[in-house]
Amino acid sequence: MAPEESPRFIEVDHFQVACGGEHLAGDHFHSRSLEAGERVVSVLADGLSSGVEAAVLASVTAAMALEYVEWNIDTGTAARILMDSLPVDPVRCISYSTFTIVDARRDGRTRVFEHGNPPFMLIRDGALVPLADLGRRVHTQARWGNRRLHVSEFQSRVGDRIVLCSDGVTQSGMGSAELPLGWGEPAAAAFLLGRLARQPDLSSRRLSEQLVGRALDNDGEPAGDDITCGIIHLRRPRCLHILTGPPFDRARDREYANLARIPGVRIVVCGGTTSNILARELNRAVEMDLSMHDRQVPAPSTMQGVDLVTEGCLTLARVVDYLEAGACPRRNAASRLVELLLESDIIHFQVGTAVNEAHQDPALPVELDIRRNVIKRMAALLEQKHLKQTRITYY
Amino acid sequence: MDPITVTICAGTACVVMDGSGLVLLEEHLPAHLKGRVKVRGERCLELCHGHGAAQGPYVLVAGEALGHASFQGIAARIEQLLGTGA
Repeated sequence: MAPEESPRFIEVDHFQVACGGEHLAGDHFHSRSLEAGERVVSVLADGLSSGVEAAVLASVTAAMALEYVEWNIDTGTAARILMDSLPVDPVRCISYSTFTIVDARRDGRTRVFEHGNPPFMLIRDGALVPLADLGRRVHTQARWGNRRLHVSEFQSRVGDRIVLCSDGVTQSGMGSAELPLGWGEPAAAAFLLGRLARQPDLSSRRLSEQLVGRALDNDGEPAGDDITCGIIHLRRPRCLHILTGPPFDRARDREYANLARIPGVRIVVCGGTTSNILARELNRAVEMDLSMHDRQVPAPSTMQGVDLVTEGCLTLARVVDYLEAGACPRRNAASRLVELLLESDIIHFQVGTAVNEAHQDPALPVELDIRRNVIKRMAALLEQKHLKQTRITYY
Repeated sequence: MDPITVTICAGTACVVMDGSGLVLLEEHLPAHLKGRVKVRGERCLELCHGHGAAQGPYVLVAGEALGHASFQGIAARIEQLLGTGA
């Protein structure tokens, strides 16, 4: 089935702030796409305490869970192996790392394994689904002492959001005059529901960022604990088409330009000649927005029916830099393209392969006109780092 | 008198040839030219396709192509057109 025809997509993203304003967080959220995107497994692990030691504990716990799953070990078995193998703090009798594992399939089959983290939340149709309705059971073993494993198994529906939080969210503000006992799960849930009531289409990235931002406000900067939120959203896929480069055969210009007319998808055009082809073939004006001037990245333009028009090679290379770094340090056309990429689920690159003769001038840097390589790197980053589905078609 | 339109090429080759700052032209014009020039950007003027990228960055001053464009060069051309040059 072509990606555009796929009726469901599992969108996963997270946001995190480290304790005390440090660079390294003691929480770890990681996901892996399996079975050609049919299944996504996500892990939130929270290492005991904070800093480097906690970061190592959380990272190892999450990595173990994902490796087991990759080796085709049942997720429930992987969770039990973690319970058996996690070192226990001799004083507090708690594991050196908590974890929540979500095993979500595109057909809706979902299993959640939890140990020690705040309970996951399932948001459906604008309301919180009681965990009791999801068959959440507690599993105990004599060798686990007082440590518990909670297991839930249910059928997700399109639109469902599974929200995982570290205790840095639910305990934010603890000890303050306003929140002496911390923010708490009900208040965090109410915050999420309120945000979704106003913006039902919020992406996992934005929603997790807003929740963590609010928790940080509760603490007052710097954060009193590592604050992490990860969200798994089963939704109709959002498609983005990126048109870049003129077609090799000029006779295909009209066909290429008509790609911008595909209904129900977002369209981005990258490249001066490419945008000129679209303007000519579709009889649409291109207006440049000089207010967004940036020394590194040329300003974006607007065109009716197109979400973003940018320069080509330099902007695309900068997008790759931002995706690799995991942050956009400047507000420019590249950062806007990164926003659109991360807000989308399926990204289809429509790449024209005509060689730009002007770029062959020996006066220009050799790095120019490596459009195809840049696109390949970008697609790989989007798939591996952000679990997006990508396709590249050459013209 | 209508302002003179200066169109800055924001194509890849022109940007690489130090053309990215030309969009700030209005800030760099002599005082007597301020308000007499309208600056706009163009995704790509495609002038490099005929004249070569090494002649960039390109701009159009009142519709006329100017290569190796700089603040001073553009201002000089505007002075010529307005007949205000030395």
